[in-house]
Parts: sequence; structure tokens; C-alpha cells
Amino acid sequence: MVRAVSTPLRIGAVAFVVLTGIFLLAPLVVIVGVSVSESQFISFPPTGFSLRWYEAVLSSDAYLNAAWISIQVALLVTVTSCFVGGAAAIALHRRKLPFSGLLSTLFLSPLVLPTIIYAIGMLMLWSAIFGPVSVVTLWVSHTIITTPYVIRTTLAVLSESDPFLEEAAQTMGASRFQRLRLVVLPQCLPGLAAGTFFAFNISFDEAVLALFLRKPGMTTLPVQIYGQLEFSPDPSVAAVSSIMIGLTVLLIFVIDRMLGLHRFAST
Amino acid sequence: MTDRAENSLLILPGLLLLVLAFFVPIAQMLMLSVSGENGLTLAHFTRFLSDPYYLNVLWRTVRLSAIITLICALIGFPMAYIMAHVSPRLRLWLVIMVILPLMTSVVVRTFGWMVLLSRSGLVPEVLRDLGLVGRNFSLMQTETAIVIGMVQVLLPFMTLSILGVITRIDSRLEEAARTMGCTFLQTLRTVVLPLSVPGIVAGSLLVFTLSASSFVTPNLLGGARIQVLAASIYRSVTQTLDWPFAAAQAVILFLGIIVLLMPYARLSGRSNG
Repeated sequence: MVRAVSTPLRIGAVAFVVLTGIFLLAPLVVIVGVSVSESQFISFPPTGFSLRWYEAVLSSDAYLNAAWISIQVALLVTVTSCFVGGAAAIALHRRKLPFSGLLSTLFLSPLVLPTIIYAIGMLMLWSAIFGPVSVVTLWVSHTIITTPYVIRTTLAVLSESDPFLEEAAQTMGASRFQRLRLVVLPQCLPGLAAGTFFAFNISFDEAVLALFLRKPGMTTLPVQIYGQLEFSPDPSVAAVSSIMIGLTVLLIFVIDRMLGLHRFAST
Repeated sequence: MTDRAENSLLILPGLLLLVLAFFVPIAQMLMLSVSGENGLTLAHFTRFLSDPYYLNVLWRTVRLSAIITLICALIGFPMAYIMAHVSPRLRLWLVIMVILPLMTSVVVRTFGWMVLLSRSGLVPEVLRDLGLVGRNFSLMQTETAIVIGMVQVLLPFMTLSILGVITRIDSRLEEAARTMGCTFLQTLRTVVLPLSVPGIVAGSLLVFTLSASSFVTPNLLGGARIQVLAASIYRSVTQTLDWPFAAAQAVILFLGIIVLLMPYARLSGRSNG
């Protein structure tokens, strides 16, 4: 590879990357800074160091309830989209169904449609048929928007797998179920795992559907934070936000350890 | 059991869910947007399109989304190029740098900007100290704040879209151009840039769609006076409770995005065969 890039350009590139990095990460760093501040008010740079806002969060019913609802929904969504998306991806990968091209497009269409449009439709339909929204509404709608991610990561892994393994298993007398369980499923696993982590992350952090599909007493963590920000933010919001950032860092770390982030850098 | 039956069984749960919980709600929304007290009506649309206030909201949405998309492309392309050309180890760190904000809740990221841009925040403070702005300068509740916040939210999408395409460009093409006497910048302009166009187009469409349809960041950074279309939809649903009007606005957003996506679908369809 030609590496003859002039020094000024190199320096320019380094400066550009550093500035972009600061721009991308500054809001997150600032939040963590605010969360450990002693001050009553949101201020950055922080004054002093204290964990009192974390204590405030952990003893606040509003935050704990919201966190519990978020976790419940995210776990339900993760399990459902893993099963539904994984199964659909296997079928889509084989391309043996009629209109399989059209089906693939349909399954990925929730990625293209702006969430706000779907959120309105879901709110209107649910209210017309079932009345008030519930955790189930969030569960179903989050499953819709996360399943395409599971399908995509699973399809990506399957497209690199050896198609003859399944045939070999068939020739050796494996039943359909055995083939799925012992051959196809292990092939899917890395993609399925990655999609599952993404599904959890998306559901846990999602704000648009959660804002439309809420009712008093049922708010997720992002909605709770949004409400605080509109109303009267104090550093406890920063503490909750920092916990959420920490969770994301952990998730990225796990995904990288298990599967390698580089896989997703190019898809 | 046949192959056909097995595949159908595998796809059925997903398909059912998709139809019942995705396409039916959208159909319901489309229906509601044209429903009036006595049958079908286009009244909600004419109300929107004949009110200067809403036309202004629409225009602001398009204008801001275009600016945001342009800035994302201008930062995203060089960023993706650099990411594709550094050592794998450094690339991993850069990917983390891009993915970490992407995977953080929009609400949380916007909160960070609220702290940074507020009157006593770091950014206005520094600008004041540098003597660039007056004493009463504030960034909150401005369109600039919306653009800054949205670019940070959407830049990762653009960068990753372009990165996906750039890593697939044959590096020998660049080498050839250099051997033939191109300077680095000429190579970038005549070889890399044209070959990255699919990534830039895909990233731009994604960023434009997402920015035209977001309301969390505009609401929190722009305030109630600077309304964008999605924020107006949210207000119609939660505050004025005018659902048919909200549906009509959503359809206008929907149509705008489809009009935008159509030429792209045709373009990429052609290149695939």
C-alpha cells in the first residue's frame, strides 16, 4: 500500500480524528462529570466529588420503577426477537420460499420506516382494539423494531456458513429437527448472540415508542429521564444517565469479547 | 414434512407478528388520516398545507435535515476513510468511539448537549472567554443547538455506512493512481470519492430520514418555539389529542421520505443488475 502521505496531511488527519472524537464523546463525558458533582445544580466542570446523586437515584421510587419496567420490557423483547428473528432468518437464508426476495424486504422494513410513524399507528390501533396501553404494547412494538437487527446479524453469519453441512447431516440420516438443532443453530449462534445484545440495547434505550405508548405509572427509564429534562433536571438525572452509559460500555465490551466488533464495522 | 413446510413454519411467527403488529397499525394510521365525521376527507391535509405556521414547520424540518445531512457527510467521509486506512488495533478503538454514542440512548446524549450548551455551559463560556460572542449569548433554544445535537446523534450512522463501502474498495486502485502520478488528494477525489458514492448516498438517506423524523433532540434543545414536523406530531398526539391531524402529519412525513427513497431504490436496483 502506498503510504506516502505528506506530513501536514497526517497532522491534519490526526487533529481531525481527535476533534471528531471529542465531539462524539463530549456529551457522555460531561454527564459522567456532572453525576459525581457535589453541587445542587447541574454544572460542568464538576465541583468536588460525591456519590450522593447515585444514592438519590437508588432510593428514588420513580427511577427504580422505571428501571424495573425497562428491564422487564427489554428482557421480554430480547427473548422474543431472538426466537422470531432467528427462525425467520434461517428460512430467509434458504431462499426456498415463494417471494423470498419480497419477504426479506418486508422483514427489514421496520428499519426503514421512521419509528414515529409506526408509534402513532401502534397507539391508534391498540387504543381502538384493546384500550389503554400496557407493558404488552411496548413489548410487541419493541419486538417489531428489534427483530430486523437479529435477522440481519443472523443472515450475515449464515451467508458465511458452509451450505453443505446441512446436506451432509441429511445424508447421514439426521432428522429435520436434529439438523436444525445440531447444524443450523450452532452456525447461527454468533449472529444470533450479537442481534440479541443489540435488541436488548435498543429496547432499553428506546424513547420514541416509549414516549407515545406510555401511561401514568408506566414509564421506561428513557421516558423518565426525558420528563425530568423537560421539567427540572438535577444531577440525579446525570447519575441515571451515567448508569445507562456504563451499561452500554459493558455491552460493547461483551459483544467485542464474544464476537469481535470488527465484524460490525463493515456491515 | 417437506422443506416447504419447514421453512413456512420457521417464518410464520415473524410474518404474523409483522403483519398484525406492523402493517395493520400503519394501515390504521393511513385510514385515520383521511377519516372525518362523515366519511373520507382530506380536511386534515388541507388544514396542514394551507396554514403558514405548519408550512413553516415543514420547511424548517427539511432545511435542518438537509444541513444536518450535509455536515454528517462532510465529517463522515474523511472519518470513514481514515478508519479504513489505520492499523486494525487503532481501527477497533475508532469503531468503539463511533459505536459508543450510537448505542447510548438519544435522551442521554441530548442531555449532555443541554449541559454543554446551556447559558452557563462549557461551550458558551469558552466562546465568551475568547471574545467571540457577547455576554448574553446562549445556544439553547436555537436551531444551531438542534443541528449540533443531531449531527452528534446521527454522525455514527453516516460514518458506518461509508466505512462499509470504503473497506471494500480495492486498495490496488489507489496504488495504481498514485503510481501514475496522482497526488494523495487527487487520488481521493478521482478514485476513492466516486467509489464511495453508494455509501454516501445510503448514509445520507438514512441520516435525512432519521433527522426529519426525530423530535426528542429538537424538543429538548430547540424548545417549544422551534417546532419541527415530528415534534408537531408528538404535540398533536399528546397535548391537543387531535389524532387524525397527527396521522395526517405523519402521512406527510411518510410521503416526503418515500419520495426521497424512490430515486435511491431505482439507483441501487440498477446497479445490482
